[in-house]
Formats: sequence, structure tokens, C-alpha cells
Amino acid sequence: MATADPISDLPRPSARTGYALMALLPPLAQDQLESILSRLTGMVAPEELLVASQNGVSAEAYSPLTVVDAPATRISFTQTAADYVNAAELARKYDARAILMLGPDAGSLSSTALHNLVAAVLDGSTDLALPFYDLPPNAGLINSAILYPVTRALFATRARFPLAIDMGLSRRMADRMAAAGQRFTGIGQDDAILWPIPEAVVADCSLAEFEVGSRALPQPPDPDIRTLLGLVTGSLFSDVEAKAAYWQRPRRLPPARVSLPAATRYTDGSSDVGSMVEGFRLAFNNLQEIWSLVLPPHTLLGLKRLSATEPASFRMPENLWARIVYDCLIAYRLRTINRGHLLGALIPLYLAWVAGHINITNSGGDPERHVEAVAAAFDADKPYLVSRWRWPDRFNP
Amino acid sequence: MPASPLVSVRLLQSRLAEVNPPVYPDNASVLHHMSDALHNSFYRVLSLLIAVLPGILAFFVAVLIFTALGMGISAVLRRALGWVRFDERIARNVAAWAPSSSPTELFARASFWGCVLMGLVIGVSAFDASYDAETNVPVRLLPYVTHAIAALIVLLVGTVVARFLARSVLISAVNAQLQYARFLSLGVKWLVLVLTAAMVLDHLEIGGTVVELAFGILFGGIVLTLSLAVGLGSRDLVTRSLERGVERAGDRPAVPHVPSGTGSSESLRHF
Repeated sequence: MATADPISDLPRPSARTGYALMALLPPLAQDQLESILSRLTGMVAPEELLVASQNGVSAEAYSPLTVVDAPATRISFTQTAADYVNAAELARKYDARAILMLGPDAGSLSSTALHNLVAAVLDGSTDLALPFYDLPPNAGLINSAILYPVTRALFATRARFPLAIDMGLSRRMADRMAAAGQRFTGIGQDDAILWPIPEAVVADCSLAEFEVGSRALPQPPDPDIRTLLGLVTGSLFSDVEAKAAYWQRPRRLPPARVSLPAATRYTDGSSDVGSMVEGFRLAFNNLQEIWSLVLPPHTLLGLKRLSATEPASFRMPENLWARIVYDCLIAYRLRTINRGHLLGALIPLYLAWVAGHINITNSGGDPERHVEAVAAAFDADKPYLVSRWRWPDRFNP
Repeated sequence: MPASPLVSVRLLQSRLAEVNPPVYPDNASVLHHMSDALHNSFYRVLSLLIAVLPGILAFFVAVLIFTALGMGISAVLRRALGWVRFDERIARNVAAWAPSSSPTELFARASFWGCVLMGLVIGVSAFDASYDAETNVPVRLLPYVTHAIAALIVLLVGTVVARFLARSVLISAVNAQLQYARFLSLGVKWLVLVLTAAMVLDHLEIGGTVVELAFGILFGGIVLTLSLAVGLGSRDLVTRSLERGVERAGDRPAVPHVPSGTGSSESLRHF
């Protein structure tokens, strides 16, 4: 006998259990925003997708897609501490199980790129999905010279772009990044740079990298190398110092990825090389007193030999560059000299490395192979860093 | 009948004694006078020393006590701050700690030297209170000691600032690829040192107006020399440096990066 539902006049409880994916978008041009939204809705059902945008879009503009306002941040060339905090808070508020964070000019990312990043975090197999950008050899030089080799050697990961502006995160990873970001947002430093790879590795989160092809990379507000190197490298050195208890243990490096074909050869670089070599020689003549406080004698001897090299054949040996970066990292930790002065004195050495990298590229060498050789040198010299870190008094230049 | 020879001699002796009184009693009084003078002056010096010595002793005792107290406080502070992980908390709250020493070390050193300074102040006060104002102790010595200590502090701070500024200017000028970087750095260093020296001499009240005039002339001369050297003597270098800076600014793309594959010549993209 059929019976009527005695409580049919009460509203049925909603079956919603949050969203599968939350996409946190920066301020984008209208066409880029629509392009991204249309591609995302092709990958995730609209009822499972939440879009948090800084464009100030009305909630009904893209119905049935759920669009909410994200707090405005000063995102430029990298995700900031405020971005990570906002992502975690919004994910917690709307119960999103995975987060996709995109940077400015994300419209230039291919659909495959978005799909790779989204799929990795949606199925729960990865806590941190990072992109592998296809950049020309004259781009991302700080990343090739310092960020990638240091991160790979110390945290045993082959993620090529430790400071990627696009990424997929699980809730767990987002909470971890938010906790790290709150230390900076709590004192008003919303634009502080955070390092997802060390946070993921220390928290034992899974990490994966996906090829995303080319991308229009946004530039820093002040692209001057004198500001940029100090900002990015100083932030990395601080993070390495904070996680010293972790990276001193030996760890196995994952297998190498299959390299992409070499990008277009860099042309017309001779004038850049000439000016960088001249700048290095000027620095060698004037900054010896400061370098001698940080670098050991055999490194200074290597630099002396390098200063006598002609621009056409100028190339900094990989192990010399690895030692220079490690010695600067030690000096940063020990505060041997003022940190601002230390990072300023590193600039001519970095430009000398860049000059060698351009020469290799111009002579037909594979720039990616050169970067991998540099990273291998950093791996090989890690015991040197560990011993100097633990016993700094044993050697004092 | 004539006197006997013996009587004559005795008579002669008595007459000589009247004319030449005996020397032995006068030498003793001169020596006695000299001895008295020496004793008096020695006594005055000793009195002066006795008047001042307690003050000096009080000064050193105060300094020693406060130095020991400072060492104890700094050791306790170092342990306590290490226990609460003060350095890590500061590193979290202040993203870039620029000084060359850790926060714990700076606090410990500051507390130690603060105690030493307090000991000096109290010691000087004790010295001031210990001697009698009616004595001839030079009263101008006390404030002069204070000025001398201040002059020493000014000298130390000035030297540190000169080194820091010289190094900052040197690094910035080298990174700007200025050929006269070392010259600029030395100029800045000596400017600050000359200023410091003038302030120190002023504190020590040495030279007075002469020092002020000399400093003004020297400082102005150095600034004028630097201006002439940079503006006229290095005109070509400055022009080339400025042109290079303008070229670099012009080469830098104002729009975001064009994806690879175009094969076009592009400037360096450090990030």
C-alpha cells in the first residue's frame, strides 16, 4: 500500500558536498577569462566547478557556472603569500577538493596544459601539479642558473620551474601553503614569495610535473636584474635556511624526464655577452675585497682565470658556479656580510654565468643540456654545502 | 816676657772663630729646609692622590661590577632567547633580517654594552661624589671624560657607517657598470670619515673654530672635486653609462613575452 510522504512539505536537504575544483583566477582580459572558463567547463562539470575571479564578475554572468569574487592581490610574476592564503580560505569556505591557481596571461596556456594540471589534482593522485613551460633559451635565466639547480639538489626533485605561476593543488597542499603564507600576511607582507616545492617535499606531499607548452610569461613590476635577483634569490635562501633540518639528509633523485627538443637558438647575443663579460671584469677588479669574504681562494682563482677569457669563449664551469652559489648561501646564513651587499655582489657572477650560457646556445649547444649539467654539478657538490653548513668554522676565507 | 806659642794659637783660633762662625750647624738647616720642602710637596701630592683615589677606585669598581653584571645578563638573555627560538620568530615576522648578526646576538650584545655604559655613568658619578670640591682637583676633567667617551662612540659609529656606505656605493656602482666605482666608493667613505673626525674633534673641544672652518673647507672641497670629476672629467663615461641604461630600458619589452618559436632576436629575460 502506497503511503504519502508525511514530511513532503519540508524542503529536501541539498545533495551538494562542495566542489570538485576551484579555479582561482587573477585579473584577466575579458576574452582570456571567457576562453579559460569555456575550457574549464569542458573538463569539469559546471556544478562541480567554482571560479574565484578578481575580475569582479557578477555571480549570474556565467550561469550555471558558480563565480565568486576573489580578494584582490598584487599578483604579478609569481603567486604571492596572499594568493595562497585566499585560495585555502575560499576552498575551505566552499568545500572545494582541489584548487587550480592560474597567473596573469593564463589565456595563453593551451587546453592540454589546463587539462593536465586539472586532471592531476582532481583524481587525488597528486598534491602539487607543476607545469613544465617551453621557454626560449634567453628566458627564465635565474630559474635555470639558481632556482632549479638549488631546489633539485636540496629537495631531490626534478621540477624544472620551482616558482611556476600556474599550478594545481590538493586541499592538503593548499592548507600547507596557506599556513606558510600566513606568517607573512600576518605582518602585512602580502607580496612575499613562497616556495611550493620545498613545502610539498617537507610535508611529504606528492608532486608531479606536466608539459604545458609555451606560455606568455608575465614580467615582474621591476624587471631590473639588480632588484629581481636579490628579491627571488634572497627569498629562496631564506626558505632553504628555514628548512635546513630537512635537506641535509641524503635523498634519491627521481628519474630524469625526457628532454624537450632544443628551443630556437638565441641570436644577436654577442653584444649582451660582451657587456656582461666587461661587467664581470669590472666587478672582478673592484669587488675582490667583498668576494674574498665569501668565496674560498680556489674559487677566486677560478674567477681570476675566467676574467682573462675572451668573450667569444667565455664560459663559467658548472662546478665553479655551483660552489659560488653554495658559498653565497652559507654566507647568507652566517651573515658574513650584509645580506643586501651579498646579493648585490652575486649579480656580476650571475651575469657571467648568463654570458657563458648564451655562448653555449649560440654555438649550437642544447641550452637544456647545459642547465641539466649545472644542476648535476649542484647535486655533486651538495656534500660540500652540508659540511660547511654544519661546521662553518672549519673554513673561513 | 812674650806669650807662649800655644797661647798664641789658642788666641788665634778664638779670633778666627769670631770672624768665621762654625759651618757645620748652617749646612744642617739648608738640608733641613730642603727636606722640609720635599716632604711638604710629597705630602701635598699624597693628599691629592688620597683625595682622588677613592673616586678612581669607586669608578673602576662600578665599571667592573656592571661589566660582570652585563656578562651575566647577556649570557642569561642568550640562553633564554635561544630557548624561545627568538631568531626563528623574528625571521618569520621580519622577512629580511639585514644586520650581519642574528637577533639574539644583537640583543645579548646590546644588553652587555648597556650595562657597561651604565657602569661608566655610575662610576663617573661616584668619582664626582668622592672628592672634596675644595681641593685643587681640576673640575673640568670630569665633563671632559664624558665628552671623550661620547667622542669615542661617535668615532666608532662613524667608522662603521663609512664602511657600510662605501661598500653599498661600490656594489651599486659596479652593477651599474660605472668605471669610476672605486673612486666613488672612496669618496663617500672619506666624506663620512671627515665628517666623523670633525664631530669627534668638536666633542673633544680641540681646535674650536679652526676645526670647524677647516672641516667646512675640506668637505666643500671634496664635494666640489667629486662634482667636477664626475661632471666634467668623466663626462664621456657618464654619457656612455646613461646611454647604455636608456638602451636597456628601451630594449625591455613593455608587453608580455611572445611565445617561443618565432626565431626573433629578443633581449634577455631573467625571469
